[in-house]
This record gives sequence, C-alpha cells and structure tokens, in this order.
Amino acid sequence: MSESIINEQEEAIKVDYEKGNFSFPEDYTYDAGTGLNEETVAYISKVKNEAEWVKEFRLKALEIFNKKPMPTHWASKDLENIVFDNIRYYLSKGQKPSRTWDEVPDDVKETFERLGIPEQERKFLAGVEAQFDSEAAYSRMKEDLEKEGVIFVGSTEGLEKYPEIFRPYFGKVIPSADNKFSALNSAVFSGGSFIYVPKGVKLKQPLQAYFRINAENFGQFERTLIIADEGSEITYMEGCTAPKFETATLHSAVVELVALKNAKIQYITVQNWSNNVFNLVTKRAHAEENAEVKWIDCNIGSRLTMKYPGVVLKGRKARGEVLSIALANDGQHQDTGAKMIHLADETSSNIISKSISIGKGRSTYRGQVHMPKHLKNCKNNTECDALLINTNSRTDTYPAITTRGEGNTVQHEASVSKVSAEQIFYMMQRGLSEGEAMSLAVNGFVNDLLKAFPMEYSVELKRLIDMEMEGSVG
Amino acid sequence: MQSLEITNLNVNIDGQPILKDFSLNIPKGEIHALMGPNGTGKSTLAKVIAGHEDYEVTSGEILLNGESILGKEPDEISLAGLFLAFQYPLEIPGVSIANFIRAAKQARLPENESINAVEYYKELYDKMDALKIDRKFTARSLNEGFSGGEKKRCEVLQMSMLEPDYCIMDETDSGLDIDALKIVADGVNLMRSPERGFLIITHYQRLLDYIIPDVVHVMYDGKIVHSGDAELAKELESKGYDWVKDSFVSSLAQ
Amino acid sequence: MNTTVNTHTTANALEPQWLLDRRNSGNETYSNLPVPSAKDENWRFASVLSEDIDAFKSAPMPEDHAIDYALSNSKLVEDPIAELIFVDDHLVQSKPLPKELIDKGVRFLSLNEAIEDHSHLLEPYFLKDSTRLGSQKYFGLHASNVKAGAVLYVPKGVEINEPIAVYHWSNTDKGLICPHTLIIAEAQSKVSLIDVLASTTEENRCLNISASNIQGHPSANIYRKVIQNFNSKTLSFQLDSAIADRDTQLENIAINLGAAKARYENQIKINGSGAHVTMYSLSVAEETQEFDQRTFQTHNAPNSVSDLLYKNALFDTSRTIFSGLIQVEEGAQQTDAYQTNRNLLLDQRADANALPGLEILANDVKCSHGATTGNIDEDELFYMLSRGIPHRVAMQLIVLGFFEEIIEKLGSDSLAENIRKLLEEKFASKIKS
Repeated sequence: MSESIINEQEEAIKVDYEKGNFSFPEDYTYDAGTGLNEETVAYISKVKNEAEWVKEFRLKALEIFNKKPMPTHWASKDLENIVFDNIRYYLSKGQKPSRTWDEVPDDVKETFERLGIPEQERKFLAGVEAQFDSEAAYSRMKEDLEKEGVIFVGSTEGLEKYPEIFRPYFGKVIPSADNKFSALNSAVFSGGSFIYVPKGVKLKQPLQAYFRINAENFGQFERTLIIADEGSEITYMEGCTAPKFETATLHSAVVELVALKNAKIQYITVQNWSNNVFNLVTKRAHAEENAEVKWIDCNIGSRLTMKYPGVVLKGRKARGEVLSIALANDGQHQDTGAKMIHLADETSSNIISKSISIGKGRSTYRGQVHMPKHLKNCKNNTECDALLINTNSRTDTYPAITTRGEGNTVQHEASVSKVSAEQIFYMMQRGLSEGEAMSLAVNGFVNDLLKAFPMEYSVELKRLIDMEMEGSVG
Repeated sequence: MQSLEITNLNVNIDGQPILKDFSLNIPKGEIHALMGPNGTGKSTLAKVIAGHEDYEVTSGEILLNGESILGKEPDEISLAGLFLAFQYPLEIPGVSIANFIRAAKQARLPENESINAVEYYKELYDKMDALKIDRKFTARSLNEGFSGGEKKRCEVLQMSMLEPDYCIMDETDSGLDIDALKIVADGVNLMRSPERGFLIITHYQRLLDYIIPDVVHVMYDGKIVHSGDAELAKELESKGYDWVKDSFVSSLAQ
Repeated sequence: MNTTVNTHTTANALEPQWLLDRRNSGNETYSNLPVPSAKDENWRFASVLSEDIDAFKSAPMPEDHAIDYALSNSKLVEDPIAELIFVDDHLVQSKPLPKELIDKGVRFLSLNEAIEDHSHLLEPYFLKDSTRLGSQKYFGLHASNVKAGAVLYVPKGVEINEPIAVYHWSNTDKGLICPHTLIIAEAQSKVSLIDVLASTTEENRCLNISASNIQGHPSANIYRKVIQNFNSKTLSFQLDSAIADRDTQLENIAINLGAAKARYENQIKINGSGAHVTMYSLSVAEETQEFDQRTFQTHNAPNSVSDLLYKNALFDTSRTIFSGLIQVEEGAQQTDAYQTNRNLLLDQRADANALPGLEILANDVKCSHGATTGNIDEDELFYMLSRGIPHRVAMQLIVLGFFEEIIEKLGSDSLAENIRKLLEEKFASKIKS
C-alpha cells in the first residue's frame, strides 16, 4: 500500500517491522549466566550495588516465584514451553546511562539510530531512555523539566537516589505475589523507568522509553514506576523490538502507575517484539480522587503476549481507560485485555479493544470489571470487536463482570466480523488490488480507535498493520 | 476499436444459463440504455463485465478498446478504464470517502508518483458541490449509514473522480426521488464526452428523460431482443414489458 | 467422601447391563471428583458449596397429604395432552397420550416404564454424555440415582401441537430427587414439553439434581420449557443438554424463581446446517438466593443460528452468575450466534456477575455478545409517577416489562398468564411503596 494513502501527516516516527531484525555480537562485562537461583539474584543485586532491603525484596520474590504454579489452568499451554533454566537473567556492559548519544558505545548507539530513536527525540519527545538488554544505555530529559523537579531515571538509580519518593509505592500497586511473572520480575528486575512528576507540573511532550533485546536466550525484566503527584500530567510511551533469534526470548515487565488527586497519566505501548518473544507483562495503575489513567496498548509482535492493563479506581470520580489494538498473525497469540476495579463512588471506566486475527493467528480478549456493593453511580463501558481475515483465524472473548451497588451501570458489547468478499470486489472495482482493499478494510476497522491515539503513534500503527496484512490474501 | 464490445456472451450461475449469446457494442462517445424486466440478467451482465468471480462464463468475449478483459481481476479491469456504479454499494466501516477515492486515484498513478493533496481536495470538493454532497461527507465512512440517495450520489462522485473510459450504471436511479435523480443525471451529463461510453441499466424510463441515450436496448431472458432510439424507452414505459414479450420475444421464437 | 451412602437404592437386576455400567461409572465419577472450587473457571464467582451432599437421600413414597398437595397444585400448564406427576421421584399420577398419537408411534413414558420396555430406545442417549460445564460430579450422582422422569419419543413427521407436562415435586426434608427428561424428536416432528420443578412445603430442604437431554433430528421442531420454583431452602442443579441436527428448530425457555442456590447448566450442540436454536431464561432472585447459570452454544456445522437471552432481576442480597460461551468450530462458516445477558439490580446489595465468552474458529461468522447491568431507569420511573401511577405499581410494571420479551416467547397465553401471576406474587412482597 502506498504511503500517501495511509497517512496524510507523513512526519512521523518510522519504526518498521523488519527494521528491528538485526543484532550486534555480544560483548558484556556483566553476565549472570543461565538459569535462576538465589546466586543469580544476589549477583544482580551486587552488580547494582543495591541497598539491603532491595536485595531482600528480590529474594522474597524469588521464593514466591518458585512456589507459584504456571497459570495454565486458564492460560495458553504455550507457557509451558518457557524453560526458565535456559534463560539469561542479566546482561550489561556495565555502563551508566549516558546523557549524550556521543558517549553511548558504538554498537548500541547504532542500534538505536537504526531504530530512529535519536531522531524522534529531537522531533517530539521531552525525554528518552534507551535500554539495551538489562540496562539503559542512554537517558536524558529536557533541562527545563529537571528544573521543575521532574525525575526520570532508571529503576536502580530511582531506588538508590530517591527512596523517599519511590519506595512507598514500589511493589505496592503490583505486589510480587500478584502472579508468577510479577514475582519473577520482582526477583530479577533491571532497567525500566522511574518517574516522578511534582504537583501541578504538566508535561507537554511525552517521555519515551525504548526497550531493546540484543542477546539470544535473554530475558528482559524492566521495572517501571510512574508517580504523578496532585494535578500533574504526563504521557509516557514505550516501544520495543528484538532480533529474530532461533530460540525463544522472554520479556516480563512490571509497570506500576500512581495517579494522585487530579493527576493524569497516559501510558502508550507499541509492542513489536519479534515473534519468538514470550511477552508476559503486568501493568496496573492506582487512580486517586478525580485522577485519570489511560492505557493505550498496541500489540503487534511477540509469540505469546499475556497482558491485561488495569486501573484500580480508588478515589471518587477517578477515571480509567484502556484502548487496545491487537494483531495476531501466523504463530502468534495475543492474549490481552483489561481490568477495571472500582473502589470509590462515581468512578468510571471505559474499555475498547479491537483485535485482528490473520492466518492461523489467535487473539483473545480477557477482561475484568468489578463494582462492589457499597458503591454508587459508577459506570463501565466495554466494547470488544474482533476481525477475522482468513478461514483458519481464531478469536476468543472472555470478559468477567461483577456489578453491585446503587446507580451503577455496566455495559459490555462484543462482536466478531470479517471482511466480506463483496466488499473486496467493490473496492477492487475502483482499481485497488486485493491486498490494498484488505488493508483499507482492516485500517477502517481500527480507524475510530486510532483517532484516540497520539498522531505519531497512529501513523506508525497503520504502517505496521499494513505490513502485517501483506500476503494475507490470495 | 475504441469501444466496449461484448460478443456472444454466455454466462451461468450454478449451472443455470443467465446470459445467452448476449452481444452489445458501445463505442466511445455514446450512451446506451439497457432496459428490461427484473431477473432478466442486467445486473449479472454488469458484474461479469467488472470481473466478479462468482459467474461462470462459458463462451463469448468482452473487449475493452480491443483488449480482452475476460478472466482479468476486477482491479485490472478498473484500471483498464471501466467503472461500475453498483446497484447496492457496499458499506466499508471506518474508511472515509476521501481516503477511499484517494486510494483509488493513487492506484492509477505510476509507483513513484503520489497525489498532490491540495489539488486532490480541490477537485473532490468541486465535484461534491456539483453533486450537492455536503463536504462533511468526506470524513464519513464509505456508504455507512448513508440513505439510498446518498449512496447513489456517492457512486457518481467516485465515477467522476476516477474518470473512466466506460461507465456502467446499474440501476443508479432506483430508489431516488426526482430531485436526487436530476442531480445524478446532471453528474452524468457533465461527464458526457466523445472520449467516454456509458451503459445505463435501468428498469424505468424516467432517468432517460434527463440523460438522453443514443441507443436504447431491450433485454429479455438473457439477451437483447430489440434496440431503438430514445423514443423506444418512452414506448416501453407506456406499453409495459408485456408488450416486449408479445411483440419481440414471440417474433424471435418464430 | 463416603462412597457407599449414595449408591443408588433402586437398582434392580432387571436393568440392562449398559445402564448398570453407566450408573456405576456415574457413581465413580461422583466419588472421585473433588467438590468444585471457585478457582475452577467453570465455577468462577460461584459461592462455595459447603453442604454435605451425601446427607441427602432418596425418599420413600410420600404420604397421601403430600400427594394431594402436589396433585391439586400441578396446574401451571392448562390442558396438557399428556402429563406425568412425580413426588420425591415417585410417580403419583399420569395422563397418557391420546390413542391416535400412540397409534402413530408416539411414546410418552415414565422412566421406569421406558427402562423396562424400551431399553433400545434409551441406550443411544440416556446418561450417555455428562455435562461439560462443571457439574460432572453431580451428573455422576444423578446417573447413579436417577429413577424418575419422562421419556418422550416422537416418530418421523408426527406433529403434536398441544403441550405435554411433567411435574416433579420435592417433599421430604433431606430428600434427594434426580428427575430426568429425554426427548427424542425424529425428523420433521413437532413437540412441546414443559417441566415444572417445585416443592410441596416451604421449609423442607431438598436436593434436586435433574438432567434433561433433547435429541433434535433433521427439521424437528422442539419447544422445551422448564419452570423451577422450589422452596427457598432447596439446593438445585439442572443439567440440560440438547443436540440440533440439520434444520432443527429448537426453543428453550427456563424460568428460575425458587431454591436457595440453583445452578443451571445448558449446553446446545449444533451438528447440522440450517439449525436454529434459541435459549431464553428469566430469573428473579431475592433474599440470599444464588442463580448460577452456565451455557454453551457449540456450532459444529455451517449456516446455523443460535440466539441466547438471559435476563435476571435481583432483589435484596441475591446473586446471579451468567457464564456463557459461544464456540464456533472450524468450518462452521456463516454462523450467526448471539448471546445477551441483562441484569436489573433492584437492591444495591445484590450482586450480578457476567462472563460472556466467545471462541471463534471460523471467519465468516456473525457473532456478538452483550452484557448489561443496571438499575431501574429513574427517568422512566419519574415518567410513570408523573402520570399518577403509584411507585409500587410503577416498579412492578417496569420489572414485569423487563421480563415481557421472555414471557411472550412462552407461546402459550395461559402459561404466560400463569407465569406472570407467579412473578407478581414474588414481587408483591418485594416491591414496597
């Protein structure tokens, strides 16, 4: 499909699917080896020179991880193919994140340049962190934000330098014991972003993190914690890629968001891992009074993604939103969804999920909406629509909705549809090839949702979707 | 050779013959009207010419400016210069009219060229104004939630934007009130040119009061049974299709 | 678990071997499977079953006054063409089919009769398949104990327009009943059967584990309605299944009013093109009642339709769980499958759970599900009050109106009227002015 059709605002970031498929030879100073035990955890903690309480936190999480069974009683059996003993849990060159690209090691710098990160930073970002395997290679934020007291650092630095800010929330939104993979992350986490936005500070441009896996058999376990203080506003975007290795790779992040009174957080993910990555991520937010948290979640890549961003609506009039697009191609299973836990009166939540299954791809929506009985005047709206492209494509929807209380309303609608042969004929009669017609129909399917996205991302997504659609017809 | 020429076309659906030795030649610059009762094969003809794969062509030929288009893909036929205004235009959710027509125009350009957005929108708005289509429609999803009249006007808009050599209009008049009918007719008349041929398929004579055809054909049971000038349409309207059956079909049978 | 207590007491040497085998395997399943927990996806949101199931036993033939009560209250279906009435799984009255239908080959038999004389008719279906919706353990108990119920066989091309009724009354405290209904509708036949489940007393706590199985052959028209109105002490499991073949038209309606806890499992399998299956349910939950509804719509063949609508109204601290799954198997193209759950919360303490699910393995389908939960629309109420309608009446009208789309599907004016009366009785105590 020609570019001019799909974007009328061409000035956008250009990360494309094939662009991520390269890697540099390994050259690591610190390597925790393969397999996971107490020594692995101790090694990571030592390399990072962590406080004792952090080490204790890790070891306790490891214990929980070892005890918890795989969630395969409801989840995909594919999880059983993860061999924890074959994974490398920590790899780094021992670098501190640089403040200028010039100081970043050449191979790492070239990696991010090929992914277009420095270019985007110049164009529209307020700050960037670029993580290469376990640690950030580059981290910089505009100076004026620093002056306003915004903190944008990696997890190690955050816990070391600002424990008074981050420790009270760290592991509180998502406890280690939440699930097996949050326990795993809590044991071996490294990298990620710790962000604090002071009272009343509103960031006009987004902060971005870019996660890159370079080494085979490597597991990336970044940890992100964003605290938006009263009345502040922040948009955070993350992107990710990995080369196509022979063996499976594991990415298991924990992302905790805290929106205090009247604060707004928008968290955008464009997940484009290569299709041998197990992407098992726990994301949850706390929204206090009149706060707003919006998760925009796009899953294009990976072999298996299991991710259900959630908002715990703790304060009166808090609002939560999950907008998600999933695209499952051959060999992919996008098991995504949302959780909305209403814990205060007049809270509202909105979930819109669109999935596209191509070839033998499988997309699954799993949702939870919970309104307990003491609450009044809460609202939830959920829409999930699935589009099936080929005869062997698959989609599943499993929402769970609990409603009590007074004046609470919940609405859930789901549909499954396909692009009809007559629609394709109609478009071909106007001169479009079959592939172009299909792409246009698919873009049309997600179009109303894309409009809710920041422009740079909607353009990138359209490109990614078009690329995925290639060869899906005929 | 500058014509849309159909010779001895035989077409089956599920083994049932629908078009039987159908022949018709439309030179550039002429407007032909094809009339006939329902179920006589008019819409089948339109879709076969456009390359719909559901129909089984057992014999015959369709030449577009001397080149055979039988067996070609619908998009190849479209790019070769043929436009079909659908009887029932399809709804394409989420795809705006502006983006759709733009994609279709882009498909007509060489690979390294792209559309000039300013010129494109100027042309689009001018033609929408001419067809009395609200400019706000450009952002609406194609045909989704459109009234019957809006859909038909949108078909004519696409036709005028894509500037085909040959236009087939399949019952574009059905369901239109007289005002909408005039708008559609005006759109067609503006496109009338020595470089363009039209096949107007209709069940009623009314449209032909506003688009004066050069030739009128009467179709019955899979083939053309009688042809004449514009007066034939009026005669047909007053005498009804039974008259066709009695005067032409029975005489053919003899 | 004590395995000997519930071994079925009526097994007699005359039963065919296939049946004894199925009973034994049922008993084994019952004994071996653990009590389900809410961690099991099929039991999500269900409250824990703390009851000692083994404490419930089959009861002996009831006393005359219980029988009289049952007979004089078996009136929900007016003028049935045939009827069976059971109390505590004992047949107390039967109205046989008219002779002309018997001559055409129609059979409407009590289960015992069917086992004795028509074993070949039962063997392909009776107790053959367990539920897939979670109550395998209790289906096992049903299989090992079942001795009462109705078997209806309608031969090819025979149409019966009048309804057939079956009443099952539970009577004895700590009594176990295991009613079974088997409908075999041959090609192009037509039949309507209504099961009524109820209690002879307000206070006796009973356990019902009923099962039904419908075999719809090509082009058969089957209407099956089940009305559950046990007393508020009873525990109830209804485990229903149906198979629809080519062009089978099957309509299911379940009315759920009674019991302390009632679990209703209904699985429909569509194996032929052109089948059209509807599944409707109406439940009124009050006090601490729990209605736990689990459904399956499986499409194994292309070009068929299934449509599910479950409506629940909840008073007091009652709970409902609706968990439904539409499964469209590979190759079942041009399937239209719909699933809708609507919950009306009439008390802020009430608790409605919805788990509507889709599993779609074909691409050319129209499938949707929807679930909504809300309170009475205040504007609607205000509108009625402004017309001078008293609050209580307005509420009642709105709740009845909420159910009307199900009630009108009952297809019989007298039955619809009787159900409306039951609902009104139930609301009378609930809706205050």
